[in-house]
Amino acid sequence: MNDDAKLNDDQLQEVARRLGARAAEQLDVEGTARAVLARLRTEPRAEVRVLGWVQPAWLRIAAVLLLMVGAGVVAVNVRGPRDTPPLPAAAAGGELSELSGDELRIVLEGLGHPGGEAQAVSSQDVGLEDLSAPQLRALLESLEG
Amino acid sequence: MTPAEPVAAVPTDAALIAAWHGGDEPAAAELVRRHARALARFLAGAGAHAADVDDLVQETFIRAFRALGRFRGQCQFRTWLMTIGGNVLKDAHRRSRRARVVPLGDDLRATDGDPHERAVAGEAERRLAAGLEQLPRMQREVFLLRAQQGFEYEEIAAALGTTPGAARVHYHHAVRRLKEHMK
Repeated sequence: MNDDAKLNDDQLQEVARRLGARAAEQLDVEGTARAVLARLRTEPRAEVRVLGWVQPAWLRIAAVLLLMVGAGVVAVNVRGPRDTPPLPAAAAGGELSELSGDELRIVLEGLGHPGGEAQAVSSQDVGLEDLSAPQLRALLESLEG
Repeated sequence: MTPAEPVAAVPTDAALIAAWHGGDEPAAAELVRRHARALARFLAGAGAHAADVDDLVQETFIRAFRALGRFRGQCQFRTWLMTIGGNVLKDAHRRSRRARVVPLGDDLRATDGDPHERAVAGEAERRLAAGLEQLPRMQREVFLLRAQQGFEYEEIAAALGTTPGAARVHYHHAVRRLKEHMK
């Protein structure tokens, strides 16, 4: 470090030492001491400590609850729609003529829904009771694709 | 020949702190008396508005007395107090932009000596204060603790939770930038 730089450092320190001197002179030290003691007496430290601890704790609890609720919602959505009721046993044997209208409706609903809207219309509007066995078989085949 | 009168031992900060822990209020008052002016200088140098210094000093002591259980004597009480003061000032800055004002005005207006010298000195302080405002907090506090308060790097490092080498680097960066600012 050369002399100029040293001189500058010294000058800088000198200026720094003067900074705030006036504020320090003007400070009422005794008044400050009295005020500090009065505040220490009247503002119990326990209150500050409790507030300082409880507040983040409640926030943490709330965050955990929020995560749990969020995870539950996600799990329900991922699991998808409920399982359809089991098909009547006769449907597997191909004896559709022996099924009642309600059973046939269940069979049709259990076949999946490739053309869901069209199927819904036909199964509800046509009246499955009125169809013959070949007609029902043809309808099922068309629905199966 | 009369024996010399015994000199009353001045209690150390540590003794006063222990006394305060035991409920001795005058010990706390003595700590305030010892360190309040130095703390006021530090806060004013760090950018506190002159009108706010009183309140900031009070708030710093309140926080310090409440946190004394965590003070392990890793550094001097005064240095520790000033790091708390830095936090108090930062919080005050958050609450009000007013405190960011560079401490000009009354604080820099000396009333004695040659008017020209006063003007030059005042200008230098104004520039230094403005330069300090531009520094990162760590550099500003290291600079003030070193240049204004005269602490050693080891002491500063212990108070700020860093190493003496890092404190030295912060100081030199601060000095370089302040010199550029004051050119």
